[in-house]
Amino acid sequence: MIKLEKISRVWPEFAIRDITLEVSAGQYLVIVGPTGAGKTLLLELLLGIHQPDTGRVFIGERDVTALPPEKRGVGMVYQDYLLFPHLDVARNLAFGLRYRERGGEPSGKRVDEIAELLGIRHLLHRYPHTLSGGEKQRVAIGRALVPEPNVLLLDEPLSALDRGTASRLRSELKTLHAAGKLTILHVTHDLSEARQMGGPIALIKEGRLDAIGAAEDLLRRPPTVFAANFFGAVNLYKADVERTSGGVRIAAGPIVAESTQAEGTLFLMIHPDEVVLLPGSPADRINHLCGEVIALTDEGHYVAVQLRVDGLPAPLTAYVSRHSVRSHMLELGGVVTADVERAIHILRE
Amino acid sequence: MTKVEDFAGEPVERRALPDSGGFSAFSWLLVAIPLAAVFLLLDRYWIAAAILATAAVWAVRGRESKNRNYAPLAVFTVAGGVLVFFIVLPILNLLFTTDPSRIASTARDPAVQAALSITLSAALIATLISLLFGVPLGYVLAREKFAGKALVEGIVDMPVVIPHTIAGIALLFIFGRGGILGAPLNAHFNILLSDTYWGIVLAMLFVGLPFIVNHCRDGFLKVDPRIEYVARSLGATYLQAFFRVTIPLTWRALLSGAIMTWARAISEFGSVAIIAYYPKTINTLLFEWYNFFGYTYTKPLSALLLLIALAIFISLRAVATLRRAEH
Repeated sequence: MIKLEKISRVWPEFAIRDITLEVSAGQYLVIVGPTGAGKTLLLELLLGIHQPDTGRVFIGERDVTALPPEKRGVGMVYQDYLLFPHLDVARNLAFGLRYRERGGEPSGKRVDEIAELLGIRHLLHRYPHTLSGGEKQRVAIGRALVPEPNVLLLDEPLSALDRGTASRLRSELKTLHAAGKLTILHVTHDLSEARQMGGPIALIKEGRLDAIGAAEDLLRRPPTVFAANFFGAVNLYKADVERTSGGVRIAAGPIVAESTQAEGTLFLMIHPDEVVLLPGSPADRINHLCGEVIALTDEGHYVAVQLRVDGLPAPLTAYVSRHSVRSHMLELGGVVTADVERAIHILRE
Repeated sequence: MTKVEDFAGEPVERRALPDSGGFSAFSWLLVAIPLAAVFLLLDRYWIAAAILATAAVWAVRGRESKNRNYAPLAVFTVAGGVLVFFIVLPILNLLFTTDPSRIASTARDPAVQAALSITLSAALIATLISLLFGVPLGYVLAREKFAGKALVEGIVDMPVVIPHTIAGIALLFIFGRGGILGAPLNAHFNILLSDTYWGIVLAMLFVGLPFIVNHCRDGFLKVDPRIEYVARSLGATYLQAFFRVTIPLTWRALLSGAIMTWARAISEFGSVAIIAYYPKTINTLLFEWYNFFGYTYTKPLSALLLLIALAIFISLRAVATLRRAEH
């Protein structure tokens, strides 16, 4: 288990602020965020290269806040491999054994085991500069695994590799994780890579934890506008908040929702694949909007329909099937009814 | 190189390709002609002829750079050629016009041998001390950011710009018989630096330090600190990571820094002569001979020293070449 408790660290040019994060043992957490959000620094805080100004770091049950990196049992793999160029692959792999020999187990055995696992046995006597990118990254991962760390930190491990190699290594990482009891934190700026790893995702924004949850939840119910935008949301509208006797009424133009929460600025997000298009002008029903079709874009498996709706600051997008386009005879300039009742999601700024 | 024609039908070079490194006008103006001129002046006609012949052969074989228009560069290149000529002429003159048997007999002179061994050994000790203090400082300068870092880097470079006689005087006020540190050292430990071997080491250390510190810093800057982080994550302490990863990746930079420092120490005269005129270093001896016997008398000794300096210089370049070959 890893626990970060209110970690803050201020540098002259950047700051990590108040990050609290818990990763249970054996979990595979992907940390995403735009470039420069502080993802690598967060890993290096966990590794012990940087010390937090305030807050505490736990690995397992141990408070490791004051421990140097070599005492933490944390493996680190960087995007650019950083193999030791003066050592061959075997000695790169065995580097950590000198310091963490366990119960007299012959070191050669552990190196062989890991080399076998990662399919790099044939490379043991080669030097790093003769290896391909994918081979280098396998060696780097193997080198981190040999001393049997409790936690493996991966900093953009696949970003420098070509697509084929990256996707092979990605599935190998999943297998590796499934086989062991290793806790893995994997940093990436690539959203699709994050989703394909299948585990929970933490989103970092400007040194703060913006959102954390299962990939599916963050995609369908992002808690913040930043998360919604990062996960590619369309149809975001700033809402007016109005207290009523029954609760809080939230409205963006003609779209209306109820909420129990009324703090801060709220936004409404309309899931484009939950919008139901009905032919003709709407009857006077709540969240049935009258829209004029201003664009039809064939996206392959579905059609994106853009509607101009009176009172909405930006067009509303709905994803519909080709069948619906035909049966409702959707065409540019036509008028349709968009039922958004089941498509509304409320989020914070 | 592909020949391309512009709209007026004139042949132009396709684009500024990385130069092929072949024989070009530069080779003539910066290498062949200056060196041939030097050897002509030294009456070594056959060497001059050989240089020009080699250049001609290379020029014929190096066809690939013929399309380039060198005219705009001619002024710069000719100026460069004059510079090369100016450096090479006095050096080769000294080597080629000194009787080798006189160099050999000078090398057997006991006074020369004594001075030489003092110089080389004192310079070596100064170099080792400079490594001891310069490597850590270079590492800190390469790795850390702190207020006043630029000041420290400026201070480290000061011995390069201070006239060395002045450095000698300044050191004398500190380490001399009545100096701020020299007096207590003399009184309590019976250590005397003025006019002793250790005074020579001290002066050499002072003028040599900038070289070792700057070489070390530049060498360490080329090592990504994250490779040290990886070593730490694998269980190495700060010092273990430094010695098992950083040093193996920088030892050539450290070695070339040490050779530079050693060479600088060997060539030091100004501050050494002021702090410790005795025991005589080789430069002090040379200066004395020049004063008493005139400059022709010092020629064999000068040639001998020049040979030693060249040997050091060539070994330095060999280390640098090794370093490039490895990357």
